[in-house]
Amino acid sequence: MSDPEKAGAFCVSTGLPELEYFSVAIQYGVYLLEAGLLLFMAVRRRAGRLMPVFLYLGLLLAVDGISRPYVLYRYGYSSRQFAYFYWLTDAFLALGAFLLVCAFFRRACRHEQKMWRFIRLLLTFVFTLTLLISVFSISSHYDDFLGAFNVEFQQNLYFTCLVLNTMLYILMQQIRSWDDELTLLVCGMGIQFAGPAANFALVHLTSGQDYASSLYVYLAPLTTLGMLLTWFYALARVPQPSAIRTGQAPVRVLAPAVSREV
Amino acid sequence: MFLASLVLVVSTALFFFYFQAVCQRILRRKFDQEYFQAIVNANRLEFPVIRKTLEEYEAPVDYPRVCMTLKCDYLALTYLLKNAANVNQRYSREELLLILYFKAVFFSLVARHWLRLRENPAILKLTAVLQFFANVIGQRVNLVRFGNLSASDYLLNL
Repeated sequence: MSDPEKAGAFCVSTGLPELEYFSVAIQYGVYLLEAGLLLFMAVRRRAGRLMPVFLYLGLLLAVDGISRPYVLYRYGYSSRQFAYFYWLTDAFLALGAFLLVCAFFRRACRHEQKMWRFIRLLLTFVFTLTLLISVFSISSHYDDFLGAFNVEFQQNLYFTCLVLNTMLYILMQQIRSWDDELTLLVCGMGIQFAGPAANFALVHLTSGQDYASSLYVYLAPLTTLGMLLTWFYALARVPQPSAIRTGQAPVRVLAPAVSREV
Repeated sequence: MFLASLVLVVSTALFFFYFQAVCQRILRRKFDQEYFQAIVNANRLEFPVIRKTLEEYEAPVDYPRVCMTLKCDYLALTYLLKNAANVNQRYSREELLLILYFKAVFFSLVARHWLRLRENPAILKLTAVLQFFANVIGQRVNLVRFGNLSASDYLLNL
């Protein structure tokens, strides 16, 4: 995957025109859902409380829904410009996802300050380690700096995010978190990370065989769709616990409301 | 090669794990009353009996009979989900996801049976999905009035 032109083809082409319609349909579904979820958060005033999610969705829409189609339209999908742009923005999105997982950790540990201090250090260490490993990998692909770096960097970052996300899920089970909304947001992220990570590994194992590469065309938008639907459910349907303050001290944990309409 | 294999196995496993976690979260939704009982009585569904047997007595299951019962209850409930007090006559996204989950767990039940592993956890998961479906139908039916008909009468007339 070091050749950017190959990388460009890997991003968008299945080789089968009729299947490409299906892939395009999923992609447009993702754009609509991204825009819909952003609008929903803005209208229902969830954007303030869930600012990291709102920003990540905004980034996703700006990159995936606006800038990539523009570059694709302008240069064509077999162009070097599109390949560079695709991988660069993919690395950018992976970085955004990593920061979002950090924000989820922050939210999960908001009542556990000691734990948060430790986790903050851990996250910084993991990020630095991932960056160092990615930079080290460039030395073996020195002649193809940008393409190799981006592919290597985002792969490492996506898998790291998946592991961190799973750690967060386990942590939430350990501290018996009552935050159902956060649990579903974390599950959504897990779906988003796991699919592409498995697909990248399959591409490596099959030495970039066509079927493994083509799978990415469906898997990436499908997992994004899965994540967005899970988030939509988390924001629209999961009842929110109401915070109250007693005379002496604020009550931290309240059972969420139970009844919801179908 | 080893690392790529590891990433492939771990990521695939985690993908299914998160899928199951989402479904379990949906199934944990509480209803303001046990609507499923009326639906079970009206349609003579048997999944609550299976669940009770497994939970209370931990008795070994009669696999072919349990499979048949669960399948019949599933067909009845999915029909009702689509047609009973449902103006749109289609499943919601949440129901579609749980239908997919039911099929996946049912497949795992068959696999467990052939591999001679414990089938009870899979059966309990299936009954949980069926109970959720019955609760959704019961709640819907409860929300609308059908002249002088009670919820059970309405369902019997479908």
